[in-house]
Amino acid sequence: MIEARGLGKDFGAVRALDGLDLDVGEAEFFGFLGPNGAGKTTTVHILATLLRPTRGSARISGHDVVRGSLAVRKSIGLVFQEPTLDRDLTVEENLRFAARLWDLPGRAARARIDELLRQFGLAERRDSPVRALSGGLRRAADIARGVLHRPRVLFLDEPTAGLDPRARRELWQFIRDLRAASGMTVFLTTHYVEEAEPCDRVAVLDRGHLVAQGTPAELKRAAGAGSLEEVFLARTGRPLAVADAVVAPPGRDR
Amino acid sequence: MARAVWGIVAREFVRFLRQRGRLVSSLARPFVWFVFAGAGFRALFAGPPGLDYPRYMAPGLLGMVVLFGAFLAALSTVTDRDAGVLRLLLVAPVPRGAVALGKALGATLLGTVQALAVALILLPAARLSLTPGGAALAFAAVVLTSLAAGAVGLVLAATIRSIENFSGVMNFAIFPMLFLCGAFYPMRNLAAPLRALAYLNPIAYGVDLLKHALLAPWSAAGYGGELAVGCDFAALAVFAGLGLAAATPLLAREGGVTRAAFSGERR
Repeated sequence: MIEARGLGKDFGAVRALDGLDLDVGEAEFFGFLGPNGAGKTTTVHILATLLRPTRGSARISGHDVVRGSLAVRKSIGLVFQEPTLDRDLTVEENLRFAARLWDLPGRAARARIDELLRQFGLAERRDSPVRALSGGLRRAADIARGVLHRPRVLFLDEPTAGLDPRARRELWQFIRDLRAASGMTVFLTTHYVEEAEPCDRVAVLDRGHLVAQGTPAELKRAAGAGSLEEVFLARTGRPLAVADAVVAPPGRDR
Repeated sequence: MARAVWGIVAREFVRFLRQRGRLVSSLARPFVWFVFAGAGFRALFAGPPGLDYPRYMAPGLLGMVVLFGAFLAALSTVTDRDAGVLRLLLVAPVPRGAVALGKALGATLLGTVQALAVALILLPAARLSLTPGGAALAFAAVVLTSLAAGAVGLVLAATIRSIENFSGVMNFAIFPMLFLCGAFYPMRNLAAPLRALAYLNPIAYGVDLLKHALLAPWSAAGYGGELAVGCDFAALAVFAGLGLAAATPLLAREGGVTRAAFSGERR
């Protein structure tokens, strides 16, 4: 489904990503774990055709992310770290806008929007402007927007950032339901180990380099560790949480 | 792709209708000028018989409505980038050119709708009567000028970092475009260098067309359009085409992320 070979990206003199090889299979729940600044979002942006790689190549559903960018964009759904909703429009207007961008015919779009609003607990808020929604509902609306066109691959970039524990639990329930109903591949980036634990396979990224890849059980066994937290420590010599605190500038939380 | 372009245009229109303040001020602005500037400059203006200053200013005021309506609509792309909507547009399966076209057509619709609404009151107030040909010419001028202003506005929106530069945009783009478009005086009165500068302004060609359409009876006296109609249309088409061509890659730069994508990565 997703195939990257020697993927790299420089921003000026900074090597944000280097020599990344990835293979993500059909219907797989793939976790991309690493501290902030490791290159996770850069990877997602390259795979989503928003950034051009400096080195290497990547394919999604067999389409090259540079040469076949339109075909790639058709087959993927994306939920970014930052919301992509128009706060002045209502939930339904936002979804209708996305439906037009993804070229869904009117009637099919209306049915799909109704279905998603119900599924994501947004049916009663469909006419509320997005700015009036709680953070959790806003994120739910953004995910509904991301899966509107039934993508074969869904990228979730730090989807729980800024959400309270209850909203997080609800969000994971939505994602479990979506996976069960559609069998789509989910590519999750996170810096929370507990979010990577339920993944089928996990890739661990640090400072632009892949340091481990496998099922959570394999990774723990190979590192002789009891948790993914310890896997990160064993592979990089630094604890994940501390690496996070050092790199993340303070006060930028949403 | 047609549906995506339509979706972008429809969103612009819904947003416009929802922003009451913007609606009221954009419709009131030309009348403030018409009444106050018109009253003050009337005595200074020595036009031909039957053409007083408020009447002379009317085509220019329509040009002003187009400038504010279409240009500001295109500039709203800056807020789209901050709100993440631009990234949504860039990850949608539509060619980059369609995104720029949709935004420019949205600006065209807003500029045209506002100019028509203002014209309904302004033209009777200025006691300007329209021939059918003049009305068709004025309408075409408003649409094409809105498109050109929208396309040029998109280039600016894709270049500036944030709307915090807005006073800079007012001082260095909108005011010069407003005062160097022939709205308030005939272009022939300008010195050659300033006149050359004025003709780098798409609004100048639009106002010239509107003068052709609305001030035809006074064109022999030198107060109507000054360039050939075909030349005005050609210039506006060039501005629209070049603007769209330039805006297309600029909008997609950095994946639609504010600043370098790397700073987004480090949040």
